[in-house]
Amino acid sequence: MFNIDMDSLDLEKTYDLIVLGGGPTAIACAIYAARFAMDVLIVGKVFGGLIATTDIVENYPGITSISGQGLMEMFKDHMNSLSIPYISDEIRSIENVEDYFVLHSFFQKFKAKSICIATGSERRKLGIPGENEFAGKGVSYCATCDGPFYKDKVVCVIGGSDSAAKEALFLAQNVEKVYIIYRKEEIRAEPINKKRVYENEKIEIINNTNVVEIVGKTTVNHVIFDNGKELEVDGVFIEIGSIPNSEIAQRIGTKINEKGEIIINRKSETNMPGIFAAGDVADAPFKQAITGVAEGVIAAYSAFDYLKNVKIEY
Amino acid sequence: MPIAYVFNKLIRDEMVKLTKPVELSLFMGRNIEDNDNVRSILKIYEESSNELLSIKEVSNPVVSKNYEVNHFPAILFINDKVKEIIRYLAKPFGAEIRPFVETLTIFSGDKNYYEVVIKENIEKIKPSIIKVMITNSCVYCPEIITFVNKFAIASNGKIQSVIIDIMAHSDIAESYDVSSVPYTVINDKKSFIGMVGPEEVLQELIGGDKIV
Repeated sequence: MFNIDMDSLDLEKTYDLIVLGGGPTAIACAIYAARFAMDVLIVGKVFGGLIATTDIVENYPGITSISGQGLMEMFKDHMNSLSIPYISDEIRSIENVEDYFVLHSFFQKFKAKSICIATGSERRKLGIPGENEFAGKGVSYCATCDGPFYKDKVVCVIGGSDSAAKEALFLAQNVEKVYIIYRKEEIRAEPINKKRVYENEKIEIINNTNVVEIVGKTTVNHVIFDNGKELEVDGVFIEIGSIPNSEIAQRIGTKINEKGEIIINRKSETNMPGIFAAGDVADAPFKQAITGVAEGVIAAYSAFDYLKNVKIEY
Repeated sequence: MPIAYVFNKLIRDEMVKLTKPVELSLFMGRNIEDNDNVRSILKIYEESSNELLSIKEVSNPVVSKNYEVNHFPAILFINDKVKEIIRYLAKPFGAEIRPFVETLTIFSGDKNYYEVVIKENIEKIKPSIIKVMITNSCVYCPEIITFVNKFAIASNGKIQSVIIDIMAHSDIAESYDVSSVPYTVINDKKSFIGMVGPEEVLQELIGGDKIV
């Protein structure tokens, strides 16, 4: 979002490390790289990543409770304190030139000796009739963004994850009624959030049910289930997981798994020398801000190790 | 810690980045409470600016008419040729503080990341108005606001940006049938629902031509 320190940006420079991404993983990687005295630049499409859309974060050690946006503000302050430049842009291609990489965005090109891909993931779509037609007209993927439009209305959240439970809890603060529609027997939210959902009088769970169509005129007015029943709703919030933003990794030949995640080892190394990956875009089984941060830190250290000619000045 | 205190501190911290003088025009309407609300927020910016930011209050209907301001209060970035570059129909508070300050600094003459590309393509760009509809809880909105405002500044107003808080201006939301943000509209024709990047917006601005 913000070119946090444009004056510290040098487009002619060959950076020791360019981090792709704008979430906690990317920022943690850059913070550690800066502390290793590496010249580091972050190029991200959206500052904050998915966690910024989270209403409340309660599982980040040391911080009892904070909004996703609030947490990212703290990350931003930390970046500022180290004068780490952040560019809001998207890298489209990467070429390997001798002992460095040239990264091309639509607007600029950058040079780096190493790269950490921490591009995270994006919300998965449901792929049912009406989803695209009513996008922005009743279908949403961000409760914190669009929740205010549904004050005193009836909405449903499709999905049974912890994120779905948190979206429902957030929406319940303002809407008249929230239905959680989940395809399996029981939602799989963290026990603490599951308990909150069960105790919330505005939330009702419809289990073992799939939504097969979203219907309306100019805006959504109901959904149709796979058992043929219909449910009247004003808004549909889709929270069925995410897909990794690994397009750039695939384009340059980084190995990915069947889910599209970049395959990394315990050093956050990919199959390509000088290219590291971390966070939601990588193949770790548990996707959390805190685990992404840890992988980002490991990637920074591995990049530092890779660039053995980097001198640390004390 | 009260949220207002946090945001006031953020304004003060961010305004250190402003190093050149800049003037904003605040167009005020009939609703005294709304006027006072925006005025008091701008006052925090002004007082934190080391006298570099000045706010010119405009209540003359003729001037409002000249600039076709019909939603109030409106904050206008007007250049030295009295051309409107950016219009805020939104309070620059909360998540909007950082993009607002960044816009201020670039409007005052700081480096603009998109300047080269916009200037190289300026002949292809038709005079355009980009409306970005937001709510104050939208995390993607500041992203779009930032680059759209930079486009407007780099084009010296050939592209104008209008930032609209649709919870404060529900009539605008209704006229565009908006129930999701960010909602970006170019020349009242092409609309983008959700996050959109600078590349897609620029592509639309030049009518699908190849970008130089």
